[in-house]
Amino acid sequence: MTDARKPQGDRLSESEAIERAKQGDAEAFQLLYDLHKRRVYSLCLRMTANTAEAEDLTQEAFLQLFRKIGTFRGESAFSTWLHRMAVNVVLMRLRKKSLPVVPLEETIETEDEAPKKELGAPDAKLAGSIDRLELQRAIEALPPGYRSIFVLHDVEGYEHNEIAGMVGCSIGNSKSQLHKARMKLRELLKTSRTGRTERASKP
Amino acid sequence: MTCIEFQEVLPDIMEGQRNAEHAAHLQSCSVCSGLVSDLNLISRQARLLQASEEPSPRVWNQIEIALRQEGLIRQPARDRSVVAFPRRWSPAWLLPVAASLVIAFGIVVYKGGPSQQQVADKAVAIGVSAPGAGSGDDQQLLEVVGARTPAVRASYAANLQNVNAYIRDAEQTVQNDPNDEEAQHSLMAAYEQKAMVYEMALDRSLP
Repeated sequence: MTDARKPQGDRLSESEAIERAKQGDAEAFQLLYDLHKRRVYSLCLRMTANTAEAEDLTQEAFLQLFRKIGTFRGESAFSTWLHRMAVNVVLMRLRKKSLPVVPLEETIETEDEAPKKELGAPDAKLAGSIDRLELQRAIEALPPGYRSIFVLHDVEGYEHNEIAGMVGCSIGNSKSQLHKARMKLRELLKTSRTGRTERASKP
Repeated sequence: MTCIEFQEVLPDIMEGQRNAEHAAHLQSCSVCSGLVSDLNLISRQARLLQASEEPSPRVWNQIEIALRQEGLIRQPARDRSVVAFPRRWSPAWLLPVAASLVIAFGIVVYKGGPSQQQVADKAVAIGVSAPGAGSGDDQQLLEVVGARTPAVRASYAANLQNVNAYIRDAEQTVQNDPNDEEAQHSLMAAYEQKAMVYEMALDRSLP
């Protein structure tokens, strides 16, 4: 149990809030929302790269959760249940918009999408630091299929077997798309740094 | 091992499947070791983005409105009568709040089965009186909410603006065609939404 989920003074614990939400208690719903809103919203934002859509999906994920809260029996952690629900809501939306949830193994990538190979070439490293904003922008610039896998694995911490089940691909595909996503991100980060250096050096 | 061979198995190496041959190549090749260290850095930094963003307050407000509309939030069993409030919580703004709730209640009662004309007459009658009174009441409500919980004032203002626009549109449609059943339902829903926003603010403002 994290500190956020412990009762603070008169504040309800998460399990008390779940029980009271089942009875229709407004404060309990709000407490559960407050405990998990950042994680759910951040997931939606990273996956869609769109603030308005992320807000809409966050709302939808919590509403689905609250509608089903009466069936929650505590066999699994509440947060696991909620986050899985949020992932499903986002993936469903991406599919509705016909955006690739994951690129197929055989899909021919466009030149812009595919990470470039840099075999044996002198290579500029990222110099041991990436700031948050820089990484956020690079993730937003990823093709949607790469972005989903990268966010689910590297940001949210899901394992490849879980991702394969969620997005409907093989474990091997999940691994190879994650690698391509990281390679593409490295390329994007280096390009943005080069652009910044060039702009700064102009009189 | 060449760089090409190393980078072909790099996805597996990144998953922890590193053998002595891979390690030897990494030791001797600065290009491949730079690549591996960059990919590890990206992966580590990515974890810091988890739960890093805060949604706007309007997300919760929309959720709360939906929960109330669907009946998932049920009112706590406490006495909400005006006379029971301490003196400081019975200022003039409670009157319009109560009026709004009564209007909404009236509309809900009318849903029971009046003739179309009755509903239309009632909706039009409310429509004539409510917006004029609404703007002053809204302002008072925002002041009280802002004084109590400043962070949510902006989202209440946005909600009120949206619901007032909704009411105006619905009123216009009903006035154009008093027999339009769908427009009458829209107007009722609009007033219910406004009453709900007031009710939420009332909850938030209670000691």
